[in-house]
Amino acid sequence: MSSTKIFIVDDELVMRKSLSGWLERDGYEVDTAESGEEAIEKLKKTRFDLLLVDIKMEGISGLDVLKHVRENDPDVAVVMITAYGSIPTAIEAMKNGAHDYLLKPFDPDKLGVLIEKIVEQQAQARENLFLKEQYKDRTRFESMIGQSKPMQEVFDLIQDVSPMDSTVLITGETGTGKGLAAKAIHTNSPRSEGPFVLVNCGAIPEHLMESELFAHQKGAFTDAKETKKGRLELAHDGTLFLDEIGEISMRMQIDLLRVLEDRVFYRVGGTQPMEVDFRVVAATNRNLEKAIKNEIFREDLYYRLNVIAFQMPPLRERKEDIPLLAEHFLRRFSQETNKPVDKISRAAIDEMMLYEWPGNVRELENAIERAVVVGKEREIRPADLPFRRSDDPTFIPKNALKDIEKTHIEKILDNYQWNIAKSSKMLGIDRTTLYSKIKRYNIKKPD
Amino acid sequence: MITLPEHSIVISPVGTSDSELFEPISMGIKRIFGYKTEVIPFFKDVSFALDPKRKQYHSTPILEKLEKAAPVRAIKVIGITSVDLFIPILTHVYGEAQIGGAACIISTHRLAEGLFLAADKDTYYKRVAKEVVHELGHTFKLRHCKDNACIMHYCRSIKDVDRKSKQLCRYCKTLLEDEMKRIAVSSELIADSS
Repeated sequence: MSSTKIFIVDDELVMRKSLSGWLERDGYEVDTAESGEEAIEKLKKTRFDLLLVDIKMEGISGLDVLKHVRENDPDVAVVMITAYGSIPTAIEAMKNGAHDYLLKPFDPDKLGVLIEKIVEQQAQARENLFLKEQYKDRTRFESMIGQSKPMQEVFDLIQDVSPMDSTVLITGETGTGKGLAAKAIHTNSPRSEGPFVLVNCGAIPEHLMESELFAHQKGAFTDAKETKKGRLELAHDGTLFLDEIGEISMRMQIDLLRVLEDRVFYRVGGTQPMEVDFRVVAATNRNLEKAIKNEIFREDLYYRLNVIAFQMPPLRERKEDIPLLAEHFLRRFSQETNKPVDKISRAAIDEMMLYEWPGNVRELENAIERAVVVGKEREIRPADLPFRRSDDPTFIPKNALKDIEKTHIEKILDNYQWNIAKSSKMLGIDRTTLYSKIKRYNIKKPD
Repeated sequence: MITLPEHSIVISPVGTSDSELFEPISMGIKRIFGYKTEVIPFFKDVSFALDPKRKQYHSTPILEKLEKAAPVRAIKVIGITSVDLFIPILTHVYGEAQIGGAACIISTHRLAEGLFLAADKDTYYKRVAKEVVHELGHTFKLRHCKDNACIMHYCRSIKDVDRKSKQLCRYCKTLLEDEMKRIAVSSELIADSS
């Protein structure tokens, strides 16, 4: 139930309806499209875990949809749906990256087994990625960086909430540093001597979650050869950080709620109540209120978690931090890779300032890492940055953004009669940056 | 379990079905959902749902007809039929339900598999009662459960049906209680506003 999203693309309404009804009963989140065109439009806006695509459709065919997915999101599994006569095309599709194909009408058991297998493989891949990230966190952990007003507000909040023992819910887009904020709360709290235990609710496969959280008693199930401590026990006297809490299954929500209410739990296969004392910090990039409305998140658990809440600002709302962050990442990656890259060109900084950073600080970090690795010079230049090009449909033309920025700066300067201190404060940038922008945009002070 | 006393769950024979089944079905429903039951046949002829090529009956239009026929006092309606059911994308189904809807249906066609009915009626009745509770569970927004002992577990074979218990696991029980509470609250709100 941890929200595996399945997308059905079929031009026959009756097929879409019957298949989506069937899959919804299995607990999957399902969306449909009646044509290849509609599918590609939806795929631009939403990410799915698995696509079930009819091969034969008018206009953009199933094979075209497959091609689009392979080019844009190779991790998504695609299963082709085919009639008996189109088997050769289905085999062709598998050569082009389809995961499997199903012959219409299909046996419900085969469909169930196939989907479960795919979901399991994807969960495994997510867990591997999570373990890699965890390793990265251990080796690369650093404090949060930012001089912008939104970040200063975050720092103030962390300082205020850290000494309390209340549950904290951190929201914000992917890559904004929710994990770092959670760690900062722990480090500044009276529990800082205790453990900081991370549970990535989106990365642990559902069937492992129960024993991961609650531990298991020896003999609780076939593979339980030893009694194993769960993460709740490990977090005793410390902080339990529930990352991606919006991805937790309805079953685990029930158990978690009980633990948060009673601070007592039972090991899987155990009968002794275990008492635990920890602080909970949870984070999510999901809109939990919407998830409650959609009945995939429990309202009672939400109110348990949402005692103190704050939001991490996206990088596009604190662009003045970009040069600082970029310099910081540059130093780190040039040291790690032992490459003599020690400067970022003015033009590259300008490019970074104009980019919208949908993946936030994490995307910036990856961009600098890549630039250090692939760059041939001592200085990072615009060409070393992996930004999307103008042929990308989501690309925002550079000039348009520059024009908007120029007009906005002109307006502010005008409002404050060219008082640089006041104008830079209003723009949320420092005076030096404002001067450089005035120069770059050739803004002239009126006589 | 919060139930609405003026409401019932209607068991509706569709086409042909064995009347001896109604007692174990009724007991199963009362045990899990707490509602009283009524047996009301709405229609016998299901030829409208027959697919002559497949020689099977499309369950979705039968469900829609059941939903329309059910009286207001029926909080849910379950159709019981002996014909073989299908939905277009699948080769067959044991039953179908509208998630969170009012109607569901089960077919007994494949539930006697491996049984000599005259001698093993008890097992057969248990299978039917389990499938009825399972489909009704969907109408109370329960999804398939990973726990293979839970009645909401999706069974791949008839042996799995025999193996699973006639009870809900603790998770599904909580989710059912939540949904029944929600139904009670919204019906109170409707009553207050009228």
